[in-house]
Order: sequence, then structure tokens, then C-alpha cells
Amino acid sequence: MVQAGSKKSSVSKINTKAGISSLIIFVVLLLAWIAGFSSRLFAVIRFESIIHEFDPWFNYRATAYMVKHGFYNFLNWFDERAWYPLGRIVGGTVYPGLMLTSGSIHYILHLLHINVHIRDVCVFLAPVFSGLTAISTYFLTKELWSAGAGLFAACFIAIVPGYISRSVAGSYDNEGIAIFALQFTYFLWIKSVKTGSVFWAVAASLSYFYMVSAWGGYVFIINLIPLHVFVLLLMGRYSNRLFTSYTTFYILGLIFSMQIPFVGFQPIRTSEHMAAGGVFALLFAVGVLKYMQSMMSKSEFKSLVVFGGLISAAVVFLGVVLLTYAGYVAPWSGRFYSLWDTGYAKIHIPIIASVSEHQPTTWFSFFFDLHILVATFPAGLWYTIKNINDERVFVVLYALSAVYFAGVMVRLMLTLTPVVCILSGIAFSGLLELFLREDDSSRGEDSEEEEQSTPSKRLYDKAGKVPKMKHEQSRDTDNIGPNLRSIVTVVILLLLMLFAVHCTWVTSNAYSSPSIVLASYGSDGTRQILDDFREAYFWLSQNTADDARIMSWWDYGYQIAGMANRTTLVDNNTWNNSHIALVGKAMSSNESAAYEIMTALDVDYVLVIFGGVIGYSGDDINKFLWMVRIAEGEHPKDIRESDYFTEHGEFRVDAEGSPTLLNCLMYKLSYYRFGELKLDYRSPAGFDRTRNAVIGHKDFQLTYLEEAYTTEHWLVRVYRVKKPDEFNRPRIPIANRIVKSSNYITKKNIKRKKGTIKNKPLVVKGKRLSSKQ
Amino acid sequence: MVDTARLSRYVSPVNPAVFPHLTLVLLGIGVFFTAWFFVYEVTSTKKTRSLKKELLVALVASIFSGFGVLFLLLSVGIYV
Amino acid sequence: MLKLNLFLLFLVGVNAGEQINSYLIYKNVDRSIDLTSQLVKITSTITLENAGKDPIKNFLVVDEPKSDGKVVYRGVKDSAKQDLNLLPVQVDGSDNKFHKVVLRQNLEPGRTATVVLEEIIAKGLAPYPSSISQKEKQLVRYFGNHYIYTPYTVAKQKTDVVLSSRSVENYTKLKPVTQSDNTITYGPYTDIKPYTEDQLVVHFENNAPFLTVTRLERVIEISHWGNVAIEEQIEIKHTGAKLKGPFSRYDYQRDTSSSHHSIKSYTTVLPATAHSIYYRDSNGNISTSSVKHRKDWIELELRPRFPLFGGWQSSYTLGYSVPSYQYLYRTPEGQNVLSMRFIDHVFDDMFVEEATTSIVLPVGVSDVQLIVPYQVEKLQDDITYKYLDNMGRKVLRMRKNDLVEQHIQDLEITYSWQPQLLLHEPLLISLALFILFVAVIIWVRLDFSLGVPEHSKKE
Repeated sequence: MVQAGSKKSSVSKINTKAGISSLIIFVVLLLAWIAGFSSRLFAVIRFESIIHEFDPWFNYRATAYMVKHGFYNFLNWFDERAWYPLGRIVGGTVYPGLMLTSGSIHYILHLLHINVHIRDVCVFLAPVFSGLTAISTYFLTKELWSAGAGLFAACFIAIVPGYISRSVAGSYDNEGIAIFALQFTYFLWIKSVKTGSVFWAVAASLSYFYMVSAWGGYVFIINLIPLHVFVLLLMGRYSNRLFTSYTTFYILGLIFSMQIPFVGFQPIRTSEHMAAGGVFALLFAVGVLKYMQSMMSKSEFKSLVVFGGLISAAVVFLGVVLLTYAGYVAPWSGRFYSLWDTGYAKIHIPIIASVSEHQPTTWFSFFFDLHILVATFPAGLWYTIKNINDERVFVVLYALSAVYFAGVMVRLMLTLTPVVCILSGIAFSGLLELFLREDDSSRGEDSEEEEQSTPSKRLYDKAGKVPKMKHEQSRDTDNIGPNLRSIVTVVILLLLMLFAVHCTWVTSNAYSSPSIVLASYGSDGTRQILDDFREAYFWLSQNTADDARIMSWWDYGYQIAGMANRTTLVDNNTWNNSHIALVGKAMSSNESAAYEIMTALDVDYVLVIFGGVIGYSGDDINKFLWMVRIAEGEHPKDIRESDYFTEHGEFRVDAEGSPTLLNCLMYKLSYYRFGELKLDYRSPAGFDRTRNAVIGHKDFQLTYLEEAYTTEHWLVRVYRVKKPDEFNRPRIPIANRIVKSSNYITKKNIKRKKGTIKNKPLVVKGKRLSSKQ
Repeated sequence: MVDTARLSRYVSPVNPAVFPHLTLVLLGIGVFFTAWFFVYEVTSTKKTRSLKKELLVALVASIFSGFGVLFLLLSVGIYV
Repeated sequence: MLKLNLFLLFLVGVNAGEQINSYLIYKNVDRSIDLTSQLVKITSTITLENAGKDPIKNFLVVDEPKSDGKVVYRGVKDSAKQDLNLLPVQVDGSDNKFHKVVLRQNLEPGRTATVVLEEIIAKGLAPYPSSISQKEKQLVRYFGNHYIYTPYTVAKQKTDVVLSSRSVENYTKLKPVTQSDNTITYGPYTDIKPYTEDQLVVHFENNAPFLTVTRLERVIEISHWGNVAIEEQIEIKHTGAKLKGPFSRYDYQRDTSSSHHSIKSYTTVLPATAHSIYYRDSNGNISTSSVKHRKDWIELELRPRFPLFGGWQSSYTLGYSVPSYQYLYRTPEGQNVLSMRFIDHVFDDMFVEEATTSIVLPVGVSDVQLIVPYQVEKLQDDITYKYLDNMGRKVLRMRKNDLVEQHIQDLEITYSWQPQLLLHEPLLISLALFILFVAVIIWVRLDFSLGVPEHSKKE
């Protein structure tokens, strides 16, 4: 009886301890979720629940379409309002995971009669998923190191700016859910490597499937996991667990990934995916060799390995090369090359290089996005390397590859951020364990012993090797005085506090602007909202014909389609370079040449962004050189970049600018009647605030276009392309006109016909002229 | 037409001004019981668990949270 | 609907044989044609005289057969400013549309009575020229009748045409006529025969906003937690002279004169107790609006995203909430009465082409009765699901074309509803949560692992 009672009480005590630690974990994760969610709401609170920037507008439009018309209609959706006159097969060219996720959330909520608008689902999807990311990061870190490190990592990733930059409320983009899928896949992969169970491997491949459906970055997973396996093989850490998990994961993942229409047969036909297949074959080879090893003598085995290995490697290599040569396997894509050679894109694919987020990362942005984590993450890396095991190899590889990619492109900071959080979590947890544990041991030896004897300890130390390390350290640091300990603790806490402050500051100032609504602050602190983009898009949607075709630079294609619901020529899905180059050519030619292109493309309206009145720097004149470059790539005879520079190689819009620039369509459309406008009393008329110059070409008239609408702050200017009968022809008395035309019509027509047929194909116009001269 | 002057005006059974306070109180109690319930679920074992207590705590938690959520909706302007 | 039609048929049938009483004469008619806004408002003060021997109970008002625009409202008041009923009738041997006005007191022989006839005509002003450039002024033409169109003899008539500006291009000069400031006075004319027509044309400058609400969808949602939510989806169009040629922002910014044919903003009046007002469109919140609290109402200055020029259109959603005590009543029998406007003010001198009003009743209502202030087209009832509705709410829907400010009148809905149903939603949430808890209770009792549990292995 007494025994039973004591047993019961000890059991309940153990359970309370486990309960309290799981409660702490739960509460911390919940708080991380809430903190992450609420720090992403700056834009919603300051402005409103609105979709941000460019790509999210397409995702939103596609989601709204799916919700309205159903999933199968979405997969079969041919969008005739994009890429006029080509159109776009949307269902086959998107990663549908994002739309499916928010669509199903919307569906479930409506089943429960919670009538949330699909826009609000889309706006709040990324912040909600950031909580899930934090939780999966916790699990991943727990598998790699300990629960304490996991909690640190979860808290870090919840508020780190590098991730917030892509997941604020309203930034409805693939990355928002893909980082969760990425972390969760890695967690399941680690779990399956540790346990060698088919269950976890299947779960990993399912999660990988979700990732494939959500983001093109899945290629990172399908190369990193084989790399992990490969390195483990090199380290001689082959095991049946590894074999089971990788083979299951690879086969299932391959089949699943091919279910996504956009991916299709790519996993077996492109070079990006070949490494995974190679490692799959290698793993089998190693498995066979391991089996043979048990059957053969040492020397026999050695020669078998050397010859067999060499021959099979050669065969595989030759096979891949031949398949590539024969066209069965596609070679590396341009985007892929640009990851290895940062100068590649600038020369070969100006469209990729023209996007600011594809530029190489500066050191400043590492610190800006990660703050102290950038300093502590090498420490975590060192900890993991010192206590290496199968799964820690993975995080080391993850860290190294992600650091490289983040250095190549600003955009890939996003893949670096999670691993930085994990490793910093490990570093901080290591540090705090070191300095706080001393307090415990100084208080009493038995408390530590008791803690170790409790089964709850297992929750913290699944990795197995951690307790040893702690003991080593605690022995080493025996002589650290309590003062030092408290100072270090305080410093660490201060650092963490600074980190939190920095994160909030960055989020609030840098990443929470919807960019379609601008805000400016007056000298007295009052906020003025500049809503010019929506003003113009709404004007287009209300006051143009439903089938009107609008030409603009590709940045604004998705927004025009999403907010104005009008047909665009090019948009942010930059799949057709020559079409974009044609638009670029129209923008950079003079008015009459542009008019020919515009009539050929059936353009009704031209939309340009002009920031000269309010000093908005992201306008079309500042992007103009990229238009010229892209146009030059396709039409080198008509457009030359050098024509748009002054003799000294400067790009300037004032009186000294090159005449080609001052007469091109983009210049004229941006500055039409701007020369008359005096912004304030100090500056002369026609003073461009963005480029701080008085424009060089003032009083000009437009022949082929007319101003249709200009927004309040001149930010968006819309021009209507005139029909051929509307031109301002030189005034000729009516009597003369009739007489002349009746005489000349036949001759002119004949001449023209002859001329176009005979002269054009030869392009000898110039020669003839020169010979005459 | 009914002469509205003779009729009594319809007033909400709960004054809308106290919606936020009610939300706080009811949700607070609800969250407390919910936490209790989950802590109990995690800490108790198969042997020590009593269904009656679980159900009772769950009932109290759900009723308070239910009304708390309702007043939360009402106070943010979603009039159900 | 069918009943209403039958009722109308019945009315028409009874009044088929209406006669024109030739003993009734209009002794004096004082007409005022107000052309200051986009609507034509004709107010005629008529002195009726009974020249016969029998008392007269009623008189007839007739629609002018060939007039521009459409009479969207017609009301008659007697000298005590009491509304008199108008009934559509047919007169033998005439194709004109007649309306019978029943007087409150019989007009005895030899006596006179004064009535005020108010007519509002929409689209009676045609912009001429029909398209103008940004800098030009908007000119409109009014085509009317110098004489009041009536089946009775008019002894004396005088007409004042009130214009919005002094600049008049042209007007018909049927003597005697005088122009002073912005008023043109025709008459007095005497002894006018019945059905006399003579075209009156005024061509003048009118920069008043020619703004038409092409479509208005009003949803009234009742919550017995003490709130009535109103949401209006409005499509507006500038129906004045169309904009010809380009729109220049530069010229628009330089032109600061207040009278311009483009519409920058307008004022909507809301009830004084309105709160949580929102003003948005399909692209989100429209940040350019300001709320001014007056003593008895709220003035909402709405600025569309862009200034409206002729032929341009825009659309927006305006929503607000009002506390229920102002519009919701309880009868002693325990029934609920909602008394609310069929449409509400959008802007001054508004003209609504088509309005649909829906009333979302609470969950579980019965005995719904609807009283409308004027004839409306009743649409099929609907069921809608709002937040947390599992049963659905009944929606009454009705439609009416061509409305003006005079149509801002209350409609009344009486329905029975159990107050216990208030507990429906919270109990629903509680039940959902409880099911969740029970699921957790069941889940912790289940063991999914295939192998032997770790702790039991150790033991």
C-alpha cells in the first residue's frame, strides 16, 4: 500500500515535470507564432488588408479564379488577357500549391459559414504559415540538437527580417508557404534518416510533394538531400537506415513531383534533377558492394571496387552526356548558370539581371536581414561540426550551400535564413546551457543529478552526444566566476533584445510597404497617402473598353491584370523574351516607329510610371536602360544602348542628354506637358525631382497618342493610341486636298507597293543612298 | 403603416459598450480552463485520468470560450 | 406579386370610364421650372375652380405625350400641405396617361381650392453640344411646354424658369417674357385651351453635377445583438456632356475654379448614429473621404478615385452600422418591426436608375410582412449564410427603377422571432469547441504505434 502510494506520487511527479516542460514548449511556440504573426501585420494596420507588390497580384488573381470556377477549370485555364496576342496557359505554368492552400482554407471556412473574403485569406496566409514554419523549425532543430535550441530557433525564425521580407501580410507569394514546406521536409528527412523508417520517408516525400507544388525552389531540396546522402557515403557512414529512407524518398518524391503539371517530366529530363538520380544509383552500388564485401576477400574486393567503380562511373557519366546531347535530358537552364557565374545573367539574360532581387547580395544586407544571427551562426556551425553525426552533416551542408546561394542572389537570402536560425539557436542554446547550468550546479549537485535521472531528460537530449559535451564544458568552465557568468548572461540577453528591436524596426520600415499604396510624411508628421496606382488601375477598369489592350513595361503586367482586369502584352511571368523585347523596342523607339509596333500589336493604351513629380525612384525612366538592353538583345539593328548615352557615357534626361533618348517614346510619354509644370517656387518649370534635373526636351506634342489619364501625383500616366484617322495632319485647304488626293492616290499606291516589295528584303536602302552621295 | 411612435424600441439584451469587457472576462476564463484541460491531458497518465473531470473542464472551457468568441466577434463589429 | 397585379387590374378596371369634367377650370397656375440641377423640377401651384353645379371630388393630371425625359416622381399636396393620393386611370377616347387626384374635401360649386403639383423629370436636360473638351463649359438644352399640359381650361398662367447661371445662350421668346438674373419669366398667359402645346426651349450653361446612379444595391442586415448593418454597392456615371479629346492633368490642376463640369467629390448624408463607416471598391479602401458630424446627420464627403468627366463611370461600396434602437421596434404582441428607408441619400439631386434593396432577416423568423411606401417589384426571396449561420437567413429582395430624393421613404417589415435564438450562435461555437475537446480526450486514449511503446520496453 505504502509502496504503491510512493510509486504513484513519483510517477505523477515525473509526469508533472514532463507536463511542465511540454507546457513551456507549447507556450513558447504559441508566443512565437503570435509574435511572428503580429509583427507581420504592420502593413495591414498602417494601410489595409491588401495584396502587395507584383507577383502576389497574379497569385491572388489565380486564386480568385480558382475559387470562382473550381480547381479543374483552373488547371485548364487559358488566360487570354495576358501576353496578347499569345495568351498564357495558366494551369500548366504555375505552381498551384499556393492557390490550393488558400483555396482550401477558404473552402473550409465557408463550410463552417465563416464568410471570409478570399482576399483576406490570401493576405493573412503568409503570416499564419510563418507560425507553422517556426514550429517545423523547432522540430528540425530538436532533431538536430535539443529542444532548447529548437525553441531558440523557432523564436528567431518567427521574427527574423530575412524571412519576414517574404511573408508579411499581403505578400501573397509562393515563398510564404514554401519555407514551411522546406523546413518540414527537412525535418521529416532527418527523422527518417535517424529512424530508417519507411513511414518518415514517405512523410518526407509527401511534404516534398507539397513543396514541389508550391515553389520552384524545390530543386534546392532535391539537390541538397542527395548531396547529404553522397557526403554520408563519402564519410563512410553508409547504413541500412540511409538506404531505406533515401530510396523511399527518392522514388516517391520523383513520382509525386511529376504530378504537378508545370513540373511534368522535368525530374527525369533536366540536368538539375540528375544528381538525385545519380546518388540513387550510387546508393544501390554501395549497397551491393557492402553486400559483396561480406562475401569476398579483401584484395578481390579492392580490385572490384576500383574497376567496377570506375567503369560504372564512366558509363553513367557517358550515358548522361549522350542523353543530354541527344536531347533527352535538357542542359542546365540559364537561371541555373547564373547561380554559378554571377556575370552570366548580365550578358546573356538581361531580363533576369534587370530584377533587383537577382543582384548579388551585399554584406550590408546580410546584417540587415539577420543581424546578430550572422555572427552567431558560425558558432553554431562549429558546434555541429565538432559533434558531427549523420543528421548534423545535413545541416552543415545546408548551411554551406545556402550561404553560397545567398551570396549570389539577394532573393536567396530566404533559403539561408532558416538554417541561420537553426544554427544560431544551437549556438545560443549552447552558450546559455554553459552559463546557466553553472548556476544550477553551484546551487547543488543533486539537483543536476535528479534532472539527469528523470526520463524527461530524454526530450532534451535525443541526439545522445550532447550530455557528454555539456559535461566537458562544465568541467572546463569550473573556474568561471559567478560575476562573469552573470555578465555574459546579461550580454546575451541584451544582444537578443537588440535583435528583437532590430527585427521590429526593419520589418516596420523596410518590409511593410505594400508598394502599390505609398505614404509620405509631411513636415508636421501628418501622413499623406499616395494612391496613384490604384487610381489609374481603377480608371482603366471603369473607363476603357473591356477588351482594351494595354502596353506597359512587364513589371506592371500582373497589377494591370489583377486590378484593372484588362489585357496586357507582357507581364511578370517573363517567359517570352522576344515579346518583351518588342515592347522594349516600342518604348525606346521614336514615336512613329513605336506607332508601327503598337498598331501591329493592337495596342489601345500605353501606361507608363513617372515619378518625377513626387520623387519616386522606381519609375520607368530609371528602368529605361533595361528596356533598351532587352530590346537590343533581340533587335540589335534598330536599338543600340550607346545611342541613349551622352558622349561622356552618361544617362541624363536634361538638355545634354542624347537626342535619341530625348525623342524616344518613353521619354515623351513620361514628360508630356511636364515642361510646363512648376512644382514649387524655387525650382524652374519641368524640374524632375527623381533625377534632380530640368528636363531637356520640353514643349513637344504627341502625334500618334493622346493623354487619356494621369493620376493625381502624375505617378501613372495612361495614353490612348490614336486610330489612323485621328492624326494631326498638317492643315491643307479642303479644296486642295481633294484635288491632290484624286490625282495622287493611284500613283502613290503603286509606288508604295513597288517600294515595299523590292526594297525591303534587300535592305539596300542605305547602300543606294551612299552610292548616290 | 404601423405607427412607430407607439411601439417600444428594440434594444440589445447586452449593452454594446460592455462587449469588449465581456470578451476579456469570458475569454480569459475560457482560456484558463482550456489551458487547464490541456495541461491535465499532457500530465496525467492512463491510470490517473478521470473522464468525469476531463469532460467537466472541457464543458466549462468550451462554454466560456464560446461566449467569449461570440463577444469578441461582436466587439470587432461582426454582428452575427 | 400576383395579388398586387390583380389589385392593380381591379383598380384600372373600375376607373376605366373616367370622364373629364369640363366644369372644372384652372383659375390660376403658377409654375416654377427649376433647372439648376440635373433634374427638372416643376412645381405648379394650381387654383381649381368649380364652374359647374355639382360638387367635384377629384381632378385629373395628365402625362405630356411627347416630352424629353421621364417623370420619375409626381406628388400633389393640398393647401394644408397634406399629400393627396394619385391613381392611374384611363379616360375614354384618349391615349394619354391620366392620374386621378382625389381631393380631401369636395369642391363645392363656385368655390376654389389650391393644390401644389410637383413633378420631377429625369434626363430632361440634354447636353448640347453632346461632347465637349476639358476646358469648355457644359451647355444643356431644356425642351418643355410654355403652357401647362392639362385637360382643363386654364384661365391664367405664369411660368418661372430658374437656371443655374446667368449665361443663357438662347431661349424661346413667347411674349410676354422677361429675363432677370438667372430667372426667365413667361407669362402671364390667359385663357389657354386644354392640351395646348408650344415648345419652350432654353439653352444655357449648367455646370451642376450630372451624376447618375446607374445601379444601387442596398443590403440591410439585422442583428438582434443590437445592430443594423447597411451596405450599398453603387455604380455611378457622369451623364453630362461627354469628354472629347484628351484629359490633361496639368490643365486640371491649374484650373481651380469651383464650377466645372467634372465631378471631384460629392456629399452623402448618413444617419447621425452611423458608425464603422467604410468606403471601398474592388481594389480596396478608397482613402479619400472625410466624415463630418453634424447635429442631426453625418456628412460624408466622398471623393471617387478619379475625377469624373462626361461619360466616365466609377463604382464603390459604402457601408456603415447603426444601432438597432433607432430602426427596430417591438409591438406589444411580441412582434418585431423594422422601419427603414428603401433607399438612402447618395448625393443631392440624385437620380437612381435601378435600385435593389435586400433585407437580411435574423435566423429563424416567421410571419414576415412587408409594407412598402410605393409600388416596387418584389423579387424572389433568397437564403443567405452569414457568419456562423448553419440555418440560413431569409432575404427579402425588391427592385425599383427611376428613383429620386422624394423616394427616400420608409418601408416596414414585421416579423416574429424568438429571443432564445440569440443563444444559437454562442452555443454553436461552444459545441464546436466541446467536440474538439472530446476529440482530444479520445485521441489521448488511443495508441497508434505499431511497435511496443518505448517506456514499456524499458520497464
